[in-house]
Amino acid sequence: MASALGISPDRAFREELARRGAASAMRCMQCATCSSVCDLVTVDSMFPRRQVLWAQWGLADRLRGDASVWLCHQCNDCTARCPRDAKPGDAMQAIRALLVEQLGAPRFMARLVGRAEATWPILLGLPVIFWALFIRSVNGFAIPRTPLVYSDVVPQWMIYAVFLPAGAFALLAGAVGARRAWTAWGEGASRSGGLLRGLGAVALDILLHRRFQSCTAARPRRLGHLLLLWGFLGALATTTLLGIGIDVLGVRTPLPQLHPVKLLGNLSAVLLAVGVVWLALNRAGNAAAAGASRAFDLFLVALVTLLVFSGVGAELARLWLPAPAALAIYVLHLGMVLSLFLTFPFSKLAHALYRTLAMAHERLTADQGRKP
Amino acid sequence: MSAEAARPLLVVGAGIAGVTTALEAAEAGQEVVLVEREPSIGGRVLKNHQYFPKLCPPSCGMEINGRRLSKSPFVQVLTRSEVTAAEKSDGGWRVRLRRKAEHVTQACTACGDCTKACPVRVPDPFNLGLGTVPAIRIPHVDAWPRRHVMSREACPPGCRACADACKVPGAIALDAKDRDEELLVSAIVVATGWTPYPIEKLGELGGGVLPDVIANVHMERLAAPSGPTGGKIVRPSDGAPPKRVAFVQCAGSRDVKHLPYCSAVCCLASAKQALYVKEQLPEADVAVYYIDRRTPGRNESMLARAEAAGVRFVKGKVGKVAQGSGGALSLRVEDVEKGRVLDAEADLVVLATGMVPAGNGALPVPVPRDGDGFALDDRASRVFAAGVARRPEDVAASVRDATGAAARAMAAGRSV
Amino acid sequence: MERVGVFLCTGCDIGASLDAGKLEGVAKEGGAIHFQSSACLCSGEGLSALRGAAEAGTVDGVVIAGCSQRHKVEEFRFDPSKVQVERVALREQVAWTHPPGHEDTQALAEDLLRMGIVRAQKMIPAKRLEEEIARTVLVVGGGLAGLEAARAAAGLGHSVVLVEKSGALGGHLAGVREVVPDSPPYGALHPSPVPELVRAVQGDAGIRVLLGTKLLRVSGQPGQFRVELEGPGGKEELRAGAIVQATGARPYDASKLGHLGRGSSPDVITAAELEPMLAKRELSRPSDGKRPGRIVFIQCAGSRDAAHLPYCSSECCGTTLRQVMAVHQAWPEVECAVLYRDLRAPGQLEHFYRAVQEQSGVMLARGTVKGVAPAGDRLKVKLEDSLLGENVEIDADLVVLATGMVPNSADGEAIRQLRDAKMRIERNESETQVKLNTELAQSLAHHEGTEILNLAYRQGPDLPTLAYGFPDSHYICFPYETRRTGIYAAGALRAPMDPAQAAEDGCGAAMKASQLIASLGRGETVHPRAGDFACADFFLQRCTACKRCTEECPFGSIDEDAKGTPQYNPFRCRRCGICMGACPERIISYADYSVDAVAGMIKAIEVPEEFDEKPRILALLCENDAYPALDDAAMKRATWNSWVRVIPVRCLGAVNLVWINESLSRGIDGVILIGCKKGGDYQCHYIKGSELAHKRLENMQETLTRLQLEADRVRVVELARNELSRIPALFDEFAGKLEELGPNPLKGF
Repeated sequence: MASALGISPDRAFREELARRGAASAMRCMQCATCSSVCDLVTVDSMFPRRQVLWAQWGLADRLRGDASVWLCHQCNDCTARCPRDAKPGDAMQAIRALLVEQLGAPRFMARLVGRAEATWPILLGLPVIFWALFIRSVNGFAIPRTPLVYSDVVPQWMIYAVFLPAGAFALLAGAVGARRAWTAWGEGASRSGGLLRGLGAVALDILLHRRFQSCTAARPRRLGHLLLLWGFLGALATTTLLGIGIDVLGVRTPLPQLHPVKLLGNLSAVLLAVGVVWLALNRAGNAAAAGASRAFDLFLVALVTLLVFSGVGAELARLWLPAPAALAIYVLHLGMVLSLFLTFPFSKLAHALYRTLAMAHERLTADQGRKP
Repeated sequence: MSAEAARPLLVVGAGIAGVTTALEAAEAGQEVVLVEREPSIGGRVLKNHQYFPKLCPPSCGMEINGRRLSKSPFVQVLTRSEVTAAEKSDGGWRVRLRRKAEHVTQACTACGDCTKACPVRVPDPFNLGLGTVPAIRIPHVDAWPRRHVMSREACPPGCRACADACKVPGAIALDAKDRDEELLVSAIVVATGWTPYPIEKLGELGGGVLPDVIANVHMERLAAPSGPTGGKIVRPSDGAPPKRVAFVQCAGSRDVKHLPYCSAVCCLASAKQALYVKEQLPEADVAVYYIDRRTPGRNESMLARAEAAGVRFVKGKVGKVAQGSGGALSLRVEDVEKGRVLDAEADLVVLATGMVPAGNGALPVPVPRDGDGFALDDRASRVFAAGVARRPEDVAASVRDATGAAARAMAAGRSV
Repeated sequence: MERVGVFLCTGCDIGASLDAGKLEGVAKEGGAIHFQSSACLCSGEGLSALRGAAEAGTVDGVVIAGCSQRHKVEEFRFDPSKVQVERVALREQVAWTHPPGHEDTQALAEDLLRMGIVRAQKMIPAKRLEEEIARTVLVVGGGLAGLEAARAAAGLGHSVVLVEKSGALGGHLAGVREVVPDSPPYGALHPSPVPELVRAVQGDAGIRVLLGTKLLRVSGQPGQFRVELEGPGGKEELRAGAIVQATGARPYDASKLGHLGRGSSPDVITAAELEPMLAKRELSRPSDGKRPGRIVFIQCAGSRDAAHLPYCSSECCGTTLRQVMAVHQAWPEVECAVLYRDLRAPGQLEHFYRAVQEQSGVMLARGTVKGVAPAGDRLKVKLEDSLLGENVEIDADLVVLATGMVPNSADGEAIRQLRDAKMRIERNESETQVKLNTELAQSLAHHEGTEILNLAYRQGPDLPTLAYGFPDSHYICFPYETRRTGIYAAGALRAPMDPAQAAEDGCGAAMKASQLIASLGRGETVHPRAGDFACADFFLQRCTACKRCTEECPFGSIDEDAKGTPQYNPFRCRRCGICMGACPERIISYADYSVDAVAGMIKAIEVPEEFDEKPRILALLCENDAYPALDDAAMKRATWNSWVRVIPVRCLGAVNLVWINESLSRGIDGVILIGCKKGGDYQCHYIKGSELAHKRLENMQETLTRLQLEADRVRVVELARNELSRIPALFDEFAGKLEELGPNPLKGF
């Protein structure tokens, strides 16, 4: 056994966790049923029993320094079997939500997203209003010709002017959070290599969501996540290609319907649409297995749904709706994209970042004993 | 003393609690009617091999109680009888009793001629269905009253084998019928005891699915000389003595999805049963998987005793029991103290199933009950509860509460 | 009795296996004035004929030769003042267990019948004691158990005197506002029942409460206790029929808990010391009077610890949960951490445990406390945490030790030993005597002045204790039975328990007290021979004042006068016959059971000549465990050696060595005694009977050698009630041994 460590129960942290859905965890009697039914538990991880104990005692530092909460796929087998109805699954969810906020920088943004239940109008509305004002100030929504061509109203430079800095912000903020987490996990664990090596090792797992399969109860959700993942990647590719096309090759938009990039874009849109619907239905369908839905989760669901459907909507509306309506939808879409960029490191979407890191960390620490 | 006090006290259920209430009141001069559904008294305790912490046979104390019942002029024992109705009647109760058909009468000498002659066998209710017995038989070796009982429903049409074999005039009455009786009583003590939580509800622990997963109550019968194996502890699937035995504590108890309360006796029962195994099979590896070791009072000595015998106590609740390789069972559990998740192997798994209050709903006497179905005293209407019908507790506590219940019921009977 | 009739039942295979005609002959030879054989004695004509003969007065003693005394009890019950009954178990001992028609089988039956007839002849009708019985119940101790006992006894129509040595009722719970729930709702604290109970007791006309009062002397016997008290109002004497001792328990001496920080800081207190703070709603640290920010509760402080209290004190987990709940409700900002080894919340208490955990600021950790030490103005608690798997340190402003409980009992036997030792020192007979007794006195010095009841009993002034100082005797099946008739222990004195259990216990003890008074009123004794009324009779002219009876009576029934002559107290007596077994002069006997009667039965055994090669074995079986076991073995049709003649005895301690001498000198080849398990987990219903039998037989060995007999001819065996299959084997094995030894050399003398 290690020499005595002072543990300082942090009641504030404990209560903050309770507020975010870990209240039941205080009932835990440490019977360890959860770790005996968890598909992710490893021989000596004691997961999630020990994490629940840390939550009970409010041992924030322990939870920050622990990568395994990020590996949990929220299958809720533990919750289903817990004899005291302590809902370990909800506890994991709450812990992750709180950690996302605590790791995030800048602080005020993290807090803003962390309190989505109150702040969602700002988080979703502000970006849209911003775009509306921006466009108005540039060209006052003048529509030169029909059928409507969006780039007439919102020329490429405006897109760049907004999304390049926004993207940069997202990357930077994400990087800061990632760095904090990575260092915290690093203490008391020895990794067999650097971050990149780790990422390389788990890339395929992530792209195929292999780990999801190990999680019986979560299997239905795997498809949804895969669709979203690939949809986002596709969308990213589309935008990049589009950018290159327009500025380097001087391609003119709108592209003809059968243009490969157009096809890729549409395909991504379909993946995203199906994915988000699938997940929404799954969440609504078996609330028990999905765990309690809180603002933190719902905000992301709402954001992605609006994003995807405004995107698809804008594309169709251009051809079939009166120009102003189509333009409105387009503005909404731009707003959602902006919101996604700005909130990504602080919203539930950040799990994509932290889980990726956690998997890398796990791979690097695999068969490495804990430091004494 | 008022007229009602002359009325008898009705005690429902002749397990250790009911017998105690009846005797303590009767020896104090109170007329008592003790009603028991089964053909003999002793209820659950006589199905145990030994009591903790003394590891002594229940029949030792029941022998004395049986003698006290035979001797006391104040107590009347009605076996194979049930309360079918109860209504308040000037302070006391008017109860209706269903006396089951006496196919074997009091004249029976328990000589066993009928048993030899009987052509049919039925599952042995005393041994919880492990093994079979003739349709007419002594219920079990410690049966009081010592009289045969007939599973009439199992008789082949027209069979008179037992009646023809019996030499005692009037001992067998094949065409006996149920009778109803009415009784005025001063107060009622409900001592209807408990039933084991059904292991079928514990499928994830192999209950009702895997043959070598048994309940603690079965283990008592396996260890008892009067049991189906003559006291040999073997695994049901192949009758072989187990090399590794695992006890799964809180199988149903302390679980809001099953029994939210602690059944109070299972830790001690398992420590005791672990000792049965160690005594018979010293080489066997015996492990008890627990949440908390609850061995209060002087019963604490059971822990030391079991540990000294080499029984391993492992902190951690078993999550899954599955069929492992080579006939063995595999238990998934975290050894909390070692901080490791194990797939432990065992040949025999004993689920320490909890106690469910019996008589709940079935008993026509209006008894207030708590959310878990345990009966509560109702002084006003002079209904009292004793033993496990009242709260999960061990034999010693049941006897204590049953003695107190006798006092409360007698006092209520006086105070009309 | 003079007019003994023999009633032979030939049913249940008896007729088929035995020659009834010969048995009739034996009966006549034996002096039976009436013989009747019937195909079924327990019902129909058989029974009516038997009853007829008895009621007509044709016979005053009936020998029922049929099934054993454990069967057909009601059918063969007669008015003991008119007819004495002896049962001869031809069915179990002969017909079912030995080859039918065989000469040895017949011989066995004839012996048993002879023995039965002699026994019946030697019985005399017993008289019921008809004496004034005091209906007052004396309750000692005014805590929860005592209060409940008083209320219950009053409810049963007894006048009650409740004696409390302190100035107030309520005991430990006097200042406690709330208790753990023992009825719904289980998730919340319940108001303490004590205030209401105190009001009820004080308001009950039938209950007299004597505060600040102690017992000077309790003499006499149940039903007739003379109780001398001293209280604020001076001395007083009263009569009581029964006593409930509910003197409770005290917290374990915390000064011995240095390893848990006690003494290292004023802020390490006990659960009991926390109570007044909770009651007054003034939570503050003894050191600086500040309100603690975090309280750490340490469970099993002294309990479950070989170096302190080996047992679990049962209520501490509940008490701590209660205190945590109370703290949280009054001061939500205060953090409470509970450090436990096993959280023991049995039964419905589990609900409360869950409810306590749900309170914010409540934390539980499992492990072993490795130390508590002051650190600045706070305390550091070191814990080997078995849940985190680490050694951890927790800061605390206040540490509460959940100290275990120690019964407020006095070991009557130890005190008596101490007194005897002192007496011998004074007598100053010999150097060694004085030296020995001085050592003994020193080793027992801590019992000095611990008396509570001050019983004027030869065997000591208080209840003997069994284990850990708890004064009970059969704590599973008969929890209230103490070793002093008419004195019942209740509450935490009897066993570690929580308030709800203590209340229940007081109620039960009152029931037993009431039952005793009723039984004595009928002239009957109590458990385990309830209903028995024949008392021991002492023929004092021949008494040598050897004091064995006074020493060995398990219930302290017998006192001594100055000359050491026994003074028997029939109402203390449980009729076990241990005194009868102890007496070398054979002056103690019961009307229905005596040394002479059993000796006569032994004489009635026909011992064949040596050359017949038909050895004889006498088996004396305890009628509580061994005899029923043999009976059941017979029911299962076990078979055993037909040289064995079985006599049931009340207890192995009731076996007088004279019987063994008699047997051997008459040429019986061996004697086997089978009784209950002895030792710490004894199963003997009279506590010491089996133990004594073993001791006595050890001492007998030299007698045997004097008679030039092998020690192996006499054997004593322990047997549990359910070891049916062992007895036949024991008999056969013993018979084999005797064949090795060859015939008893004293045959034919």
